[in-house]
Amino acid sequence: MRHGALVALLWAGLAQAQPVETLSWLRKIQDATERLSYSGIFVYQQGGRSESSRITRYAPGDIERLEVLDGEAREVVRTRDTVRCYLPGSRVVKIDRRRTDRSFPGLLPERIGALAPHYDIRMGETRRIAGYDCQAIVLTPKDELRYGHRLYADTKSGMLLRAVTFGAAGEIVEQFSFTQLSIGKVTREMVKPRHAASAWKVEDAEAAPARLAGWGLNRELPGFRKIIELRRRMGESRPVGQLVYSDGLAAVSVFIEPLQERQDSLKTGLAGMGAIHLFTREVANHVVTVVGETPAASVRRIAEAVEYRPQ
Amino acid sequence: MKDRISALMDGELDERAATDALSGLRREREAAEAWRAYHLIGDAMRDTRTLSPGFSARLAQRLAAEPTVLAPARPWLAPRRWLPMAAAASAAIALVGWVAFAPQVQLTPAPVAKVQPAAEARPVAAPIPSAAGDYLLAHQAVSPRISLQSMAPYVLTVSEEGARK
Repeated sequence: MRHGALVALLWAGLAQAQPVETLSWLRKIQDATERLSYSGIFVYQQGGRSESSRITRYAPGDIERLEVLDGEAREVVRTRDTVRCYLPGSRVVKIDRRRTDRSFPGLLPERIGALAPHYDIRMGETRRIAGYDCQAIVLTPKDELRYGHRLYADTKSGMLLRAVTFGAAGEIVEQFSFTQLSIGKVTREMVKPRHAASAWKVEDAEAAPARLAGWGLNRELPGFRKIIELRRRMGESRPVGQLVYSDGLAAVSVFIEPLQERQDSLKTGLAGMGAIHLFTREVANHVVTVVGETPAASVRRIAEAVEYRPQ
Repeated sequence: MKDRISALMDGELDERAATDALSGLRREREAAEAWRAYHLIGDAMRDTRTLSPGFSARLAQRLAAEPTVLAPARPWLAPRRWLPMAAAASAAIALVGWVAFAPQVQLTPAPVAKVQPAAEARPVAAPIPSAAGDYLLAHQAVSPRISLQSMAPYVLTVSEEGARK
């Protein structure tokens, strides 16, 4: 047998040797977030700040509610097909449709295996969090274009109790952690929005799949491929196009809007908060805003690759 | 494709088939990965000293950081040539009546990749402006991490900073 043929055989063998246990843990976490009803308080930490929120899920109705507990009572209610964001300060409800068909870029079970080329997925330590015995699953990125994740899940139910995002040097970038959680015993009443909001201004994104002819990247970011193209409305109903690139876990959105629609002064360059980075620049009379839960360099590289080619 | 990659490695393809296989490598990420993996395994079998992990990624990064010599504008982006077509495109899109996702008649010069300074390791990020809340919300709706972390990442879109208007 020639060399190449032998190598091909060996590779086929290696490719089949998936880390079965770790992948099944990821599936278990994902199932738990859908299957369980729960209510708990979690803390989001990033840099020097932390913020408490209550999250409640009513599984029979597929409704979730997130309520910020510090400061103004901002609230997000997600149903099977919509996300409503209540901002009492400005008396605005923002509505976004959810796509429930298979083209929705969720982390579908069959796609979990596709994470392996970009992340080393291993079992981590066991630890007690908020009274639950948890198993850690660690996703370490194979390059510096994405963040790592340490996920702590209840060994019994698979419920995710803590999610730590870490950078290339192992530093913590941000962390979500339940400080109190009860599984089950949730009623429909508990996921009702607290704001009636009947007199509030409604901003509907009207997001729908679309083809943004001519727009794309002149150089793709390794491992990130385009998963969806949408058009939507933002703020005072201004039209915006959205291209989404993902490696299966991290995602980067490219928002494109005509320059003259923007009333505010344009601030170009890099901004960031926790794992989220945002890069703004101008391309062919349009404002391009790139947002993703990736290191700054990835968001910037995608932003700088955005181009318009007349068709 | 994988058969052809291994045949290519063994020098069993004629010039034309080899050219096809090579362009396949450029086109298909999976093929390129197989090519890399086969070579890695081959090296291991021959006990060749391999390069350190991530070598190619680092090399590509350094190459990208090298100052670019700017060539004159490529002909396909010469504004004059595209003026009539851009105007036609704008008109067609205006008919559709949604978003004119084409540059306006006055084409801006070709976007030229900005030269990055080599030291890009720790870019300084400004805080996310409050007006960016809409982008965060729109992004969360399509990010796969929602399916693992439930709604928790939405907290960013309604965080104290994001809500300050």
